Amino acid sequence: MIELVGLTKAYRTRVAVDDLTVTVEPGRVTGFLGPNGSGKTTTMRCVLGLTRPTSGTARVLGRPYRELARPMRRVGALIDPRARHPGRTAHAHLLALAQSNALPPRRVDHVIEMVGLESVAHERVRGFSLGMGQRLGIAAALLGDPDVLLLDEPVNGLDPEGIRWVRELLRDLADEGRTVLVSSHLMSEMEDTADHLVVLGRGRLLADVPMADLLGAHSAVRVRSPQAPLLASALRRAGGIVELQLDGSLRVEGLDVPRVGDVAFEAGVRLHELTRVTASLEAAYLALTGDDVEYRAVAP
Amino acid sequence: MSRVPFGALLRSEWTKLRSVQATWWCTGLYLLVVGAAGWLAAASTDGAAQADIAVQTALTGFGVGQLLLVVLGVLAVTTEFASGQVLVSLTAVPRRTRLLVAKTVVVAAWCVLLSAVLVVVCALAARTLTAVPGGVRPTDPAVLRTLGLQVAAAGLVGVLSVALGAVLRSTAGSTGAGVALTFVLPPAFALAGGEIASRVSQGLPALRVGQDAFLAVGTPWPVGMAILGAWAAVVWVGGAVLLERRDV
Repeated sequence: MIELVGLTKAYRTRVAVDDLTVTVEPGRVTGFLGPNGSGKTTTMRCVLGLTRPTSGTARVLGRPYRELARPMRRVGALIDPRARHPGRTAHAHLLALAQSNALPPRRVDHVIEMVGLESVAHERVRGFSLGMGQRLGIAAALLGDPDVLLLDEPVNGLDPEGIRWVRELLRDLADEGRTVLVSSHLMSEMEDTADHLVVLGRGRLLADVPMADLLGAHSAVRVRSPQAPLLASALRRAGGIVELQLDGSLRVEGLDVPRVGDVAFEAGVRLHELTRVTASLEAAYLALTGDDVEYRAVAP
Repeated sequence: MSRVPFGALLRSEWTKLRSVQATWWCTGLYLLVVGAAGWLAAASTDGAAQADIAVQTALTGFGVGQLLLVVLGVLAVTTEFASGQVLVSLTAVPRRTRLLVAKTVVVAAWCVLLSAVLVVVCALAARTLTAVPGGVRPTDPAVLRTLGLQVAAAGLVGVLSVALGAVLRSTAGSTGAGVALTFVLPPAFALAGGEIASRVSQGLPALRVGQDAFLAVGTPWPVGMAILGAWAAVVWVGGAVLLERRDV
């Protein structure tokens, strides 16, 4: 469990995180979304005690991170896949980390195997690709078998196989009852991975909702009928907002699928299609963050 | 759950130190430079009146060689900041002063160990190559004091270098400051002459502690040790305070 209360981090010229109050619950994957510069990384650094908040508090498992006795056993973190000495081997990097928290050295080989880096374990990390760096960072996060995981953009630079691997890993970790907070700007990735979403824009909280709610709020029903005009007026009478689409189908908002079917039956209208249309996370996200994009390209 | 034992932190820092090439370059060059200079100095000195003077001469190489300890100590800290490793290190060990203590102990211990080997080599050189009435006996208190002083000074140079790294965070800045304080400025002020300049020269943490001050103005050895120790302590405390306070 991660609890942020009124977390604020102000730099000289800008406010990176602005009065953020969020609780990240265990047992589910919480997606941490926001445009570039919206404060995701700063928030994670505050949670890990790397950055001191201007005001407010960040607690992990009920305590400030800096007070955890053996932090790697409680919290695993991936902040930056390049944050490591380039001249050290992957094995030495992980061994030094394991020793610093008095973890048994066999954990090193175990996590190396878990992330699939056995063949390069004794090579210097200087030559690692971004994807290999991510795997090593995830290995470091898993080293202490922690209850809480914070992963900043873990799929960045991974190939499709790697992305699927991370997705399944996060799912398994959450199912084991752990707290998983994962940031990403890849909406499609979150759609498949996260159960819950925390959305930031310019350092402020825009949404803290279950994934299904966010998508549901932007969903609609598509219905196709040879008697479209008749059906449209019946649906409008039932309280739906009906829009005729270019392909001849009707897009209905405000009524769910069974209700649309019932209305059609009562009006004696034949149906050729009746589908629930889920908004993509992308669309829902853009609707939320539209006004809060910090860096926007302007057409010349 | 109880805190991580300090020994575990020491093991971790030793793994970090031994697993980068810079450590072994500095180590190899240090042994080579100081050892070779010791034999050359002893071989080119026909005789000395006292055993400790003969040994002092054989230790000449430390005057330059300890610059490699400065580089080693500085790099142990600044490469963490340059590479971003410090993010991972401080996430693993959020008690920052404790981490700095562990790193300092490991670096200083390595400096002491290498220097202990070297003073034995240099003393052997003096004993073999320099004629001294009565010979150079390893039990001579004056000889032992000279050797012990050099080993302790090397340890303090290691502490000072780690501390400079923690204060300045940049490799170039910290190495520059370290070389200036220990190597360039003491003789520079000595050459400038005058009362104030020679006082300043004595007040800097020169690499050679004591009467044979390697071009700087000499001091009695207890004063020299106190000055070097005070520099190491003050800069180290500054480094610890800044490490605790600053974001990374």
